[in-house]
Amino acid sequence: MTVETIARKFGHLEVEAGAPLTEGHLVLAPATSEEAAAVLDAAAERELPVLFWGGGSHQGFGHRIQPAIVISTERMNRILEWSPADLTVVAEAGVGVADLATRLMEGGQTAVLPERPGASTVGGAIAAGQSGWGRLRYGPIRDRTLQVVLSTGDGRVVRAGAPLVKNVTGYDLPRLATGSFGALGLITRVALKLWPLGARAATVTVESAEKALATAYRPLAVLEENGTARVYLTGTSAEVEAQAAELGGTVVDGLDWPESLVGETVLVIRVPASLTRAAADRAPPGWSYQAAFGVGEVRLAGPSAPAAGVLDTLREWTTGVGGAVVVERAPDTLYEHVDPWGPPGPSLELQRRVKAAFDPLGICNPGRLPGNL
Amino acid sequence: MSLTAELTALLGPGRVKTDPLERHVYARDAGMRTGPVETVVHPRTTDEIVGIVRIADRYGLPIVARGAGTGLAGGAVPTEPAVLVVLTRMDDIHEVDAASRTAWVGPGLINLELSQHTAPLGLHYAPDPSSQSACTIGGNVATNAGGPHCLADGTTVAHVLAVELVTADGEVVVLGGAAPDPIGLDLRGVVVGSEGTVGIVTRVLVRLTEDAPATRTLLLAFGDTADAAATVSDTVAAGVIPAALEMMDGVIVELVENWIHAGFPTDAAGVLLAELAGHPAAVEAEAEILSDIARKHGATSVQVAADAAEAATWWKGRKAAFGAVAQRAPDYYLHDTVVPRSRLVEVLDTVNEIAERHGLEVMNVFHAGDGNLHPLMSFDASVPGTMERVQAAGDEIVAASVAVGGTLSGEHGIGLEKRDLMPLVFSPVDLDAQARLSEAFDPTGLFNPGKILPAGSRCFDYGRPAPAQ
Repeated sequence: MTVETIARKFGHLEVEAGAPLTEGHLVLAPATSEEAAAVLDAAAERELPVLFWGGGSHQGFGHRIQPAIVISTERMNRILEWSPADLTVVAEAGVGVADLATRLMEGGQTAVLPERPGASTVGGAIAAGQSGWGRLRYGPIRDRTLQVVLSTGDGRVVRAGAPLVKNVTGYDLPRLATGSFGALGLITRVALKLWPLGARAATVTVESAEKALATAYRPLAVLEENGTARVYLTGTSAEVEAQAAELGGTVVDGLDWPESLVGETVLVIRVPASLTRAAADRAPPGWSYQAAFGVGEVRLAGPSAPAAGVLDTLREWTTGVGGAVVVERAPDTLYEHVDPWGPPGPSLELQRRVKAAFDPLGICNPGRLPGNL
Repeated sequence: MSLTAELTALLGPGRVKTDPLERHVYARDAGMRTGPVETVVHPRTTDEIVGIVRIADRYGLPIVARGAGTGLAGGAVPTEPAVLVVLTRMDDIHEVDAASRTAWVGPGLINLELSQHTAPLGLHYAPDPSSQSACTIGGNVATNAGGPHCLADGTTVAHVLAVELVTADGEVVVLGGAAPDPIGLDLRGVVVGSEGTVGIVTRVLVRLTEDAPATRTLLLAFGDTADAAATVSDTVAAGVIPAALEMMDGVIVELVENWIHAGFPTDAAGVLLAELAGHPAAVEAEAEILSDIARKHGATSVQVAADAAEAATWWKGRKAAFGAVAQRAPDYYLHDTVVPRSRLVEVLDTVNEIAERHGLEVMNVFHAGDGNLHPLMSFDASVPGTMERVQAAGDEIVAASVAVGGTLSGEHGIGLEKRDLMPLVFSPVDLDAQARLSEAFDPTGLFNPGKILPAGSRCFDYGRPAPAQ
């Protein structure tokens, strides 16, 4: 079978117009996990590299890929089961993060995915391990991914976990798939744990993020954006009012989340939570930043490709404190001379074997992960 | 040299045991199964464990690592003659970082001792299995242990940021870290809940949780368990997630009250014990909401604990439930399944019907908030044929849970107990994928073989072989 016959088989021989992809590949849009597995099986037979594509929001992470085939999740776009009483939702990978949030809001619930998702999809956000700012209170997305269905690199459909909020039945593939950047296969479906949105929400602008973090009890987030610190609160009206009063800043109703960072290059510093301030202080002059206090994540945006020295200097520091600096997006030229992840860490050989258990021929997003896995 | 001689050379004579008593003690966990023990070793350091792994591997003997042995699913019970690696002497608290709310601890540390140690900092370790005064952090990591307070805060995996692991090659590798979202595949998440089958965890970086500034504990009694279950569902639907939300049926309430005198209403068919934790304003408002919902569903009494002492007495009653059962019969079998919260009532009815059909008494004390059932059958094992009936009823209870979209285990793990029931929830392809994952860590089956996955899970017919190296 050639890639053209694969394309004809599934009736989608079209390249996304204007998509910033390399030339010379096909974009296929399977409608089911089984179709995706069949495409992967055919690709594996010919050892063709495959790139997975949701909304394209997270394609800046990791090493560049020259695919022969792009599998798009655009036709897997249904919310399948939403059980508000069980606080679970099952959705196909191609559902937009924004669409899911809008739908869940009707029942007063949230999946705590990124609040400014743009075009990103549920499958893409899970594959990229993207948590919303609300992770300070509700934990990272890994802790809320209850089930995944994977079309693996050797053409199998593997289901793991269940749409249940508590479950220790078998090995935890849902957590492994979360943040795997397509290394194991295509995530075609997920079940997520939901949380109720509070009856009331408020955003409080405060003087000091550190002081606010010490004062507030389990706020949704404590963010500092270019020197302005805000605390995000939800809960019963009584709680939100009481907490806002204790914080003593300017209060507005609702959650006034920061806009996405603007800039050609976005870097993410990840360090132990107590070093959030130290990380924010390392923003190069002229760069903007968003720092998540209590989490240890600082996102930096710069106008152009940074001098190689910027990344090196940051990494010299983060490596010493057990952290990392990750490139989230950058001009293509940056990837030619900079490792977007930094050093892959000591478990690389184990990671290689785990990837091979699902993708023995290494065709799924080849090279995207740290260490060119 | 013999195996024992080599191990003794490594650890000294006091920490290698081969006498029948020691081997008998470590042949079992807190459940009912036993297995063959070759040698028992008590290491104190990671380096010693590396040495043990290399020696056992050379002699072709599997390794079963264990903590306090409070598990019920047979996870620490060997299936073939094995070297038992007892980790209870590795109980150090290496380092506490109060600012980042983390601590590096040894796997042998007792769960409750960690929270006691960090209490002066206003921090605690959130997972609280009923056995928390005896069970170890390493055992909790192996089973991904839960407890009543996992409703709001999640099970062990949400509180383990990194592990130091001795692998099948005898290498020491740290997986995960204190910084958020460590790069690469999340192998830490695979290790947690893997029941000792992928390596030996020698240090654990745990996340500590801020103590809540206020708590309210409520005791709600109902004339019908269906009303109690409806109260659970409506509470969650109202956007209130208590820190813990436990249910006890009438039989348990009566037995506990007889023994502990916790002040439980003995005329109730079902009692909910709810703990609200958070900002004082929040728990005040949520206690109102919860009380209103309970009354709407016909609660026969709604009590708020007057003080910490009363709340502690109620919790003591809840945690003593399994001990109280001894009044009824000499033996009991505790199950652990999960169902969608919205299906609790019908599954409870089915559980009662199954027990009745098998002539067994069943009682229920469980984590209602997350649909985690713990049907408990009490019986006298000395009566011929009883164990067979208990086993048959247990399998039917699991099947009934799965039939409504539930699963085999919420916190106890699979071990040996439910290994052969795995095909109820996973296809052969799913099981093969899990077997391959396990094999990626431990290609020769050195660590705790025969657990979690039924024999024959690894099927070489699926997918494509890796290219020749």
